[in-house]
Amino acid sequence: MSLSAKAVKKSPWVFHVNTGACNNCDIEIVDLLTPRFDVERFGIKLVGSPRHADALLVTGVVTAQAAPRLKKVYNQTAKPCVVFAIGACACGTGIFHTGYHVVGPVDKIIKEIDPNAIIAYVPGCPPKPEAIISGVVKALSIL
Amino acid sequence: MDRDQLTESLTKIKNELIKVEKTVDSRLYLVCESLNAHKVSNFIFKTLGCRFVTATAIDSFHYYEVLYHFSHDQTGTVLTVKALIRDRENPSIESIAQFIPGAQWIEREMHDLMGIEFRNHPDMRRLILADDWPQGVYPLRKKTKDEKVS
Repeated sequence: MSLSAKAVKKSPWVFHVNTGACNNCDIEIVDLLTPRFDVERFGIKLVGSPRHADALLVTGVVTAQAAPRLKKVYNQTAKPCVVFAIGACACGTGIFHTGYHVVGPVDKIIKEIDPNAIIAYVPGCPPKPEAIISGVVKALSIL
Repeated sequence: MDRDQLTESLTKIKNELIKVEKTVDSRLYLVCESLNAHKVSNFIFKTLGCRFVTATAIDSFHYYEVLYHFSHDQTGTVLTVKALIRDRENPSIESIAQFIPGAQWIEREMHDLMGIEFRNHPDMRRLILADDWPQGVYPLRKKTKDEKVS
Protein backbone atom coordinates (compact mmCIF):
# COMPACT_ATOMS: atom_id res chain seq x y z
CA MET A 1 0.00 0.00 0.00
CA SER A 2 1.33 3.38 -0.94
CA LEU A 3 1.96 5.95 1.73
CA SER A 4 -0.75 8.24 0.41
CA ALA A 5 -3.36 5.46 0.41
CA LYS A 6 -2.33 4.58 3.95
CA ALA A 7 -2.74 8.20 5.00
CA VAL A 8 -6.17 8.41 3.40
CA LYS A 9 -7.30 5.31 5.29
CA LYS A 10 -5.87 6.55 8.55
CA SER A 11 -7.59 9.91 8.46
CA PRO A 12 -9.70 10.83 5.43
CA TRP A 13 -10.29 14.55 5.13
CA VAL A 14 -13.53 15.27 3.38
CA PHE A 15 -14.84 18.19 1.40
CA HIS A 16 -18.59 18.58 1.03
CA VAL A 17 -19.99 19.46 -2.40
CA ASN A 18 -23.66 20.19 -2.97
CA THR A 19 -24.39 19.90 -6.69
CA GLY A 20 -28.12 20.50 -6.45
CA ALA A 21 -29.41 18.64 -3.43
CA CYS A 22 -32.59 19.50 -1.58
CA ASN A 23 -30.48 19.91 1.60
CA ASN A 24 -31.75 16.77 3.27
CA CYS A 25 -28.56 14.81 2.59
CA ASP A 26 -26.57 17.84 3.73
CA ILE A 27 -28.42 17.80 7.03
CA GLU A 28 -27.46 14.13 7.47
CA ILE A 29 -23.83 15.06 6.79
CA VAL A 30 -24.04 17.74 9.44
CA ASP A 31 -25.39 15.02 11.76
CA LEU A 32 -22.26 13.01 11.05
CA LEU A 33 -19.96 15.82 12.03
CA THR A 34 -21.78 16.96 15.15
CA PRO A 35 -21.43 15.27 18.57
CA ARG A 36 -24.02 12.49 18.20
CA PHE A 37 -22.07 10.64 15.52
CA ASP A 38 -18.87 12.66 15.66
CA VAL A 39 -16.94 11.04 12.82
CA GLU A 40 -13.84 12.95 13.81
CA ARG A 41 -13.23 10.11 16.28
CA PHE A 42 -12.45 7.99 13.18
CA GLY A 43 -10.16 10.69 11.83
CA ILE A 44 -12.75 11.89 9.31
CA LYS A 45 -12.46 15.65 9.22
CA LEU A 46 -14.38 18.24 7.27
CA VAL A 47 -12.07 20.65 5.48
CA GLY A 48 -12.77 23.96 3.82
CA SER A 49 -10.85 23.44 0.60
CA PRO A 50 -10.82 20.64 -1.99
CA ARG A 51 -7.03 20.97 -2.08
CA HIS A 52 -6.89 19.55 1.44
CA ALA A 53 -9.42 16.81 0.78
CA ASP A 54 -8.96 13.06 0.36
CA ALA A 55 -12.64 12.49 -0.27
CA LEU A 56 -15.55 14.41 -1.73
CA LEU A 57 -19.00 14.05 -0.22
CA VAL A 58 -21.21 14.90 -3.17
CA THR A 59 -24.93 15.36 -2.53
CA GLY A 60 -27.64 15.95 -5.05
CA VAL A 61 -28.23 15.43 -8.73
CA VAL A 62 -25.70 17.23 -10.93
CA THR A 63 -27.34 20.22 -12.57
CA ALA A 64 -26.16 21.95 -15.74
CA GLN A 65 -24.81 24.82 -13.67
CA ALA A 66 -23.03 22.57 -11.15
CA ALA A 67 -21.41 20.03 -13.52
CA PRO A 68 -18.38 22.13 -14.60
CA ARG A 69 -17.90 23.25 -11.00
CA LEU A 70 -17.93 19.67 -9.74
CA LYS A 71 -15.26 18.80 -12.32
CA LYS A 72 -13.17 21.76 -11.20
CA VAL A 73 -13.46 20.72 -7.56
CA TYR A 74 -12.52 17.12 -8.41
CA ASN A 75 -9.48 18.27 -10.38
CA GLN A 76 -8.31 20.33 -7.42
CA THR A 77 -8.32 17.42 -4.97
CA ALA A 78 -5.20 15.45 -4.15
CA LYS A 79 -5.23 11.94 -5.67
CA PRO A 80 -6.18 9.30 -4.67
CA CYS A 81 -9.53 10.88 -4.02
CA VAL A 82 -12.63 8.91 -3.14
CA VAL A 83 -15.88 10.39 -4.41
CA PHE A 84 -18.88 9.57 -2.24
CA ALA A 85 -22.23 9.93 -3.99
CA ILE A 86 -24.52 10.51 -1.04
CA GLY A 87 -28.23 9.91 -1.52
CA ALA A 88 -30.51 8.65 -4.26
CA CYS A 89 -30.10 11.75 -6.45
CA ALA A 90 -26.31 11.66 -6.46
CA CYS A 91 -26.26 7.90 -7.06
CA GLY A 92 -28.67 7.83 -9.98
CA THR A 93 -30.54 11.16 -10.35
CA GLY A 94 -33.54 9.75 -8.44
CA ILE A 95 -36.85 11.49 -9.00
CA PHE A 96 -35.19 14.28 -10.98
CA HIS A 97 -34.01 12.16 -13.90
CA THR A 98 -36.40 13.81 -16.39
CA GLY A 99 -35.66 17.33 -15.15
CA TYR A 100 -34.64 19.93 -17.71
CA HIS A 101 -31.69 21.05 -15.59
CA VAL A 102 -30.25 17.59 -14.94
CA VAL A 103 -26.99 16.50 -16.58
CA GLY A 104 -26.59 13.15 -14.88
CA PRO A 105 -25.61 11.30 -11.74
CA VAL A 106 -22.34 12.10 -9.99
CA ASP A 107 -20.43 9.05 -11.32
CA LYS A 108 -21.13 10.00 -14.95
CA ILE A 109 -19.76 13.53 -14.49
CA ILE A 110 -16.67 12.40 -12.56
CA LYS A 111 -15.91 9.63 -15.07
CA GLU A 112 -15.91 12.16 -17.91
CA ILE A 113 -12.71 13.63 -16.53
CA ASP A 114 -11.28 10.61 -14.68
CA PRO A 115 -12.45 7.18 -15.90
CA ASN A 116 -10.57 5.46 -13.07
CA ALA A 117 -12.07 7.52 -10.27
CA ILE A 118 -12.97 5.71 -7.07
CA ILE A 119 -16.68 6.26 -6.53
CA ALA A 120 -18.66 4.99 -3.57
CA TYR A 121 -22.44 5.02 -3.55
CA VAL A 122 -24.57 5.57 -0.46
CA PRO A 123 -28.20 5.35 -1.54
CA GLY A 124 -31.13 6.54 0.50
CA CYS A 125 -33.40 9.54 0.63
CA PRO A 126 -31.71 10.73 2.73
CA PRO A 127 -29.23 8.01 3.80
CA LYS A 128 -28.96 7.57 7.54
CA PRO A 129 -25.74 8.75 9.14
CA GLU A 130 -25.03 5.09 10.00
CA ALA A 131 -25.34 4.24 6.29
CA ILE A 132 -22.88 6.98 5.35
CA ILE A 133 -20.38 5.76 7.97
CA SER A 134 -20.83 2.21 6.67
CA GLY A 135 -20.23 3.42 3.11
CA VAL A 136 -17.08 5.24 4.12
CA VAL A 137 -15.75 2.17 5.95
CA LYS A 138 -16.48 -0.09 2.97
CA ALA A 139 -14.88 2.31 0.49
CA LEU A 140 -11.75 2.73 2.59
CA SER A 141 -11.39 -1.01 3.14
CA ILE A 142 -10.94 -1.64 -0.61
CA LEU A 143 -8.34 1.10 -1.08
CA MET B 1 -62.67 44.20 8.81
CA ASP B 2 -64.21 40.75 8.42
CA ARG B 3 -64.44 38.54 5.38
CA ASP B 4 -67.78 39.85 4.18
CA GLN B 5 -66.52 43.41 4.25
CA LEU B 6 -63.41 42.27 2.43
CA THR B 7 -65.48 40.67 -0.32
CA GLU B 8 -67.66 43.76 -0.48
CA SER B 9 -64.70 46.10 -0.84
CA LEU B 10 -63.82 44.27 -4.04
CA THR B 11 -66.82 45.88 -5.74
CA LYS B 12 -64.68 49.02 -6.09
CA ILE B 13 -62.60 47.23 -8.72
CA LYS B 14 -65.35 45.11 -10.25
CA ASN B 15 -64.91 46.78 -13.64
CA GLU B 16 -61.37 45.43 -13.85
CA LEU B 17 -62.34 41.87 -12.91
CA ILE B 18 -63.81 39.12 -15.04
CA LYS B 19 -65.11 37.27 -12.00
CA VAL B 20 -64.38 36.48 -8.37
CA GLU B 21 -64.10 32.81 -7.54
CA LYS B 22 -64.38 31.47 -4.01
CA THR B 23 -63.09 27.92 -3.59
CA VAL B 24 -63.14 27.81 0.20
CA ASP B 25 -63.92 30.54 2.73
CA SER B 26 -60.29 31.54 3.07
CA ARG B 27 -59.44 31.82 -0.63
CA LEU B 28 -60.58 34.35 -3.22
CA TYR B 29 -59.51 34.27 -6.84
CA LEU B 30 -59.80 37.57 -8.69
CA VAL B 31 -59.73 36.64 -12.36
CA CYS B 32 -58.79 39.51 -14.64
CA GLU B 33 -57.19 40.29 -17.98
CA SER B 34 -53.44 40.83 -17.89
CA LEU B 35 -53.86 44.55 -18.63
CA ASN B 36 -55.81 45.08 -15.42
CA ALA B 37 -53.68 42.92 -13.13
CA HIS B 38 -51.40 45.81 -12.23
CA LYS B 39 -54.31 47.99 -11.12
CA VAL B 40 -56.00 45.17 -9.19
CA SER B 41 -52.76 44.24 -7.40
CA ASN B 42 -52.18 47.89 -6.55
CA PHE B 43 -55.65 48.16 -5.03
CA ILE B 44 -55.19 44.99 -2.96
CA PHE B 45 -51.72 45.95 -1.80
CA LYS B 46 -52.17 49.66 -1.16
CA THR B 47 -55.87 50.10 -0.35
CA LEU B 48 -56.66 46.81 1.38
CA GLY B 49 -53.18 46.58 2.90
CA CYS B 50 -52.62 42.94 2.00
CA ARG B 51 -49.21 41.30 2.25
CA PHE B 52 -47.61 40.01 -0.95
CA VAL B 53 -46.86 36.30 -0.48
CA THR B 54 -45.61 35.02 -3.81
CA ALA B 55 -46.55 34.62 -7.43
CA THR B 56 -46.93 31.64 -9.72
CA ALA B 57 -47.24 31.17 -13.45
CA ILE B 58 -49.17 28.43 -15.21
CA ASP B 59 -49.18 27.35 -18.83
CA SER B 60 -52.81 26.37 -19.39
CA PHE B 61 -52.63 25.76 -23.16
CA HIS B 62 -55.01 28.54 -24.28
CA TYR B 63 -53.29 31.24 -22.27
CA TYR B 64 -50.65 31.82 -19.65
CA GLU B 65 -51.78 32.64 -16.15
CA VAL B 66 -49.84 34.73 -13.68
CA LEU B 67 -51.16 34.41 -10.15
CA TYR B 68 -50.21 36.98 -7.56
CA HIS B 69 -51.00 35.70 -4.07
CA PHE B 70 -51.76 38.22 -1.36
CA SER B 71 -52.56 37.48 2.26
CA HIS B 72 -55.06 39.49 4.24
CA ASP B 73 -53.65 38.62 7.65
CA GLN B 74 -56.48 40.22 9.67
CA THR B 75 -59.03 37.72 8.35
CA GLY B 76 -56.67 34.94 7.31
CA THR B 77 -57.79 35.19 3.70
CA VAL B 78 -55.60 34.61 0.67
CA LEU B 79 -56.51 36.76 -2.31
CA THR B 80 -55.11 35.60 -5.61
CA VAL B 81 -55.02 37.88 -8.61
CA LYS B 82 -55.29 35.57 -11.58
CA ALA B 83 -54.15 37.42 -14.69
CA LEU B 84 -54.90 35.78 -18.03
CA ILE B 85 -52.34 36.43 -20.75
CA ARG B 86 -54.00 35.52 -24.02
CA ASP B 87 -51.08 36.36 -26.34
CA ARG B 88 -49.19 33.06 -26.41
CA GLU B 89 -46.57 34.25 -28.90
CA ASN B 90 -45.26 37.18 -26.84
CA PRO B 91 -46.75 36.86 -23.37
CA SER B 92 -46.26 40.03 -21.39
CA ILE B 93 -47.72 41.72 -18.34
CA GLU B 94 -47.05 44.92 -16.42
CA SER B 95 -44.63 44.27 -13.53
CA ILE B 96 -45.89 44.80 -9.99
CA ALA B 97 -42.30 45.10 -8.75
CA GLN B 98 -42.62 48.86 -9.31
CA PHE B 99 -44.56 49.17 -6.08
CA ILE B 100 -43.69 45.80 -4.47
CA PRO B 101 -39.89 45.38 -4.58
CA GLY B 102 -40.32 41.91 -3.02
CA ALA B 103 -41.88 40.72 -6.27
CA GLN B 104 -38.73 41.33 -8.30
CA TRP B 105 -37.14 37.92 -7.91
CA ILE B 106 -40.29 35.85 -8.41
CA GLU B 107 -41.01 37.79 -11.60
CA ARG B 108 -37.48 37.13 -12.80
CA GLU B 109 -37.99 33.44 -12.05
CA MET B 110 -41.28 33.37 -13.96
CA HIS B 111 -39.52 35.08 -16.85
CA ASP B 112 -36.72 32.49 -16.82
CA LEU B 113 -38.93 29.42 -16.70
CA MET B 114 -42.11 30.49 -18.48
CA GLY B 115 -40.89 33.25 -20.77
CA ILE B 116 -43.37 35.86 -19.60
CA GLU B 117 -42.15 39.40 -20.19
CA PHE B 118 -42.67 41.74 -17.24
CA ARG B 119 -42.92 45.27 -18.59
CA ASN B 120 -41.12 48.01 -16.65
CA HIS B 121 -39.43 45.55 -14.31
CA PRO B 122 -36.46 47.35 -12.73
CA ASP B 123 -33.93 44.51 -13.19
CA MET B 124 -34.82 41.72 -15.61
CA ARG B 125 -31.59 39.71 -15.50
CA ARG B 126 -31.53 35.90 -15.51
CA LEU B 127 -32.08 34.50 -12.06
CA ILE B 128 -32.18 30.72 -11.78
CA LEU B 129 -31.36 29.08 -15.11
CA ALA B 130 -27.79 27.95 -15.79
CA ASP B 131 -25.43 30.58 -17.23
CA ASP B 132 -25.03 28.66 -20.49
CA TRP B 133 -28.74 27.97 -20.93
CA PRO B 134 -29.78 29.10 -24.45
CA GLN B 135 -31.75 32.31 -24.80
CA GLY B 136 -35.41 31.92 -25.67
CA VAL B 137 -35.82 28.37 -24.31
CA TYR B 138 -38.31 28.30 -21.48
CA PRO B 139 -38.23 24.90 -19.76
CA LEU B 140 -41.58 24.95 -17.98
CA ARG B 141 -43.65 25.77 -21.03
CA LYS B 142 -45.77 22.85 -22.14
CA LYS B 143 -44.31 22.47 -25.61
CA THR B 144 -40.72 22.42 -24.39
CA LYS B 145 -41.50 19.78 -21.78
CA ASP B 146 -39.61 16.95 -23.48
CA GLU B 147 -36.77 19.03 -24.87
CA LYS B 148 -33.53 18.70 -23.01
CA VAL B 149 -30.38 20.73 -23.32
CA SER B 150 -27.26 18.57 -23.32
